[in-house]
Amino acid sequence: MPSHLATFIRWLLVPVALTVAAALLYVVARRLLKWNGRQALGLAMVSPWIIGFLVFTAYPLIYSFYLSFTENNLFGRTKWVGLDNYIRLFTVDYEFWPSVRITLLYALLSLPIGVIGALLIAMLLNNKIRGIGVFRTIYFLPAVLPEVAVALLWRWMFNSEVGIINYVLSPFFKLFGIGKPDWFGDADFVLAAFIIMSVWGIFGTNTVVFLAGLQGVPRSLYEAAQIDGAGAFRRFLHITVPQISPVILLQVIMGMIGALQIFTIAMFVRPTSAAGKFMNQLVYERGFAQLDMGEASAIAWVLFVIILALTLLVFRSTPFWVHYETDVRR
Amino acid sequence: MASTHAMTRRGPSSYKLMRQWYRALIYVTVIALAVVILVPFFWMLSTALQEEGDIFAWPPKWIPDPPIWRNFPDAWNAMPFNLYLGNTVYIVALGIIAELASATLVAYGFARFRFPGSEIVFLILLATMMLPFHVTLIPTYLIWQKFGLVGEFDPLVLRAWTAWGPFYIFLLRQFFLTLPRELDDAAEIDGANWLQTFVHVMLPQIRPALLAVTIFAFRGYWNDFLGPLIYLTDMKKYTMNVGMYFFMGGVNEAPQWNYLMVMSTLIALPVLVLFFVAQRYFIEGITFTGMKD
Repeated sequence: MPSHLATFIRWLLVPVALTVAAALLYVVARRLLKWNGRQALGLAMVSPWIIGFLVFTAYPLIYSFYLSFTENNLFGRTKWVGLDNYIRLFTVDYEFWPSVRITLLYALLSLPIGVIGALLIAMLLNNKIRGIGVFRTIYFLPAVLPEVAVALLWRWMFNSEVGIINYVLSPFFKLFGIGKPDWFGDADFVLAAFIIMSVWGIFGTNTVVFLAGLQGVPRSLYEAAQIDGAGAFRRFLHITVPQISPVILLQVIMGMIGALQIFTIAMFVRPTSAAGKFMNQLVYERGFAQLDMGEASAIAWVLFVIILALTLLVFRSTPFWVHYETDVRR
Repeated sequence: MASTHAMTRRGPSSYKLMRQWYRALIYVTVIALAVVILVPFFWMLSTALQEEGDIFAWPPKWIPDPPIWRNFPDAWNAMPFNLYLGNTVYIVALGIIAELASATLVAYGFARFRFPGSEIVFLILLATMMLPFHVTLIPTYLIWQKFGLVGEFDPLVLRAWTAWGPFYIFLLRQFFLTLPRELDDAAEIDGANWLQTFVHVMLPQIRPALLAVTIFAFRGYWNDFLGPLIYLTDMKKYTMNVGMYFFMGGVNEAPQWNYLMVMSTLIALPVLVLFFVAQRYFIEGITFTGMKD
């Protein structure tokens, strides 16, 4: 309990300090920068975020980049080693490439399933049928379940001996004369198991976002197309998809970033390490189990660069498929 | 799916029949998928109530017979989960309060005030949503280590005062933007200062957004695993999730699945209840921004 109290007191002091800092910024903006009252007030109001950003995002970002060129074991001093960490990762580290491989494959394979699946489910839920409210609630449940529970539940369902997934699939196994796969214990099945698990994620937030997008498409467009004799599939391709393409873009980017950062689920599912560890798992292990902060930072930066590159690639492709409402009005 | 040409050629009666088939197909699909979603939940509960011997039955037993309710207290008492629940509630409460207070103020600042560079600052804020958490993880840890606060709850709750979640700021700002300017102006003409306007005029108007942020923040803190895992070194300070991690056992240990499913059910319960109570705000919050946390 005393440590709870000490934390509580420090927790109370932080807003006081932030208010003082905001007041100081206000004075500086008014006196030194000659801003008007509203401008200075605006700066003061957003200053908690700016301070948080500088201390907990900008500085750590630069510092981890620096750390990736050093040797640091958390307690000793930091030693500059140049590109050694990266060279070691790219050449001799036997865990690095398998980790990049499984992380990328998982993200790239689960992403289209997630986005297309969520869109199809949203279209299904966009029908006016009786009891649709109840179904929407049920379809949102997977998103509500905490990751820890999701991971343990799936690990149990994937149990090789008595899991229900192998039970449901056992007729197929018999048909092809193969034994029950050890999903998380056999390196060949780990990726497949993770992708199957990711299907669970198409229900929930993505579906809700798509549903809102679908409901925003003007009815008149569909009616006009129907009069012109466009079938359901063509209406989907030429009206629905362009109209909600900004939503698709958002889902692709957020889904990709999320999938590349998979961590908690992998920690609780504990797949065999022979299949490769996800990159964030490797960052955690190198950093906090082996206390090799330099190498952990280098892995984190490789992941960051991968995310940046893929995001830029997606943005570069937007002129070809994303349709903004303003284009029409012009 | 009926094509329009076929419809017109075959006349209205076959069109009606087609529509009925289509509706039936939709019903069947919607129900089938709902079952697919509910089966894992049922399986979780079913395993939680089974005896250890029955868990490993083949074919699997769907309905526990008899249901072993004792599993619930037994699993809960197998580790000091009372303590862990207390710690988790403590972190969740401090985190949500700080997050709400700071995010609301910052969002109001971004929505209603302009200063040189404010657009760029907001763009940077949006960009941080794409930043992988692990890139800043190690230096952040080193910062807290320098303050001597690793092992305390501080790294998990102090930062919330700096409006940590860019998503929350974005959501709240979008809500503020929907409010008419006349509201602010009227309050100002009545002689209210910015703080009075903010507290008495703006905050009551964005109550749905505040609720949405509260729910998201609750879920965020309740589900957090990495933070407590690296910062809490003392067993007495573990949260539910970290407790679960060690409850799961070592790499080569066979987990006790009925107990783990009990704990999974219990960990899911608060979030599930919150969802059922406040479903509207949950979904409004997501659709309003078109994003997820």
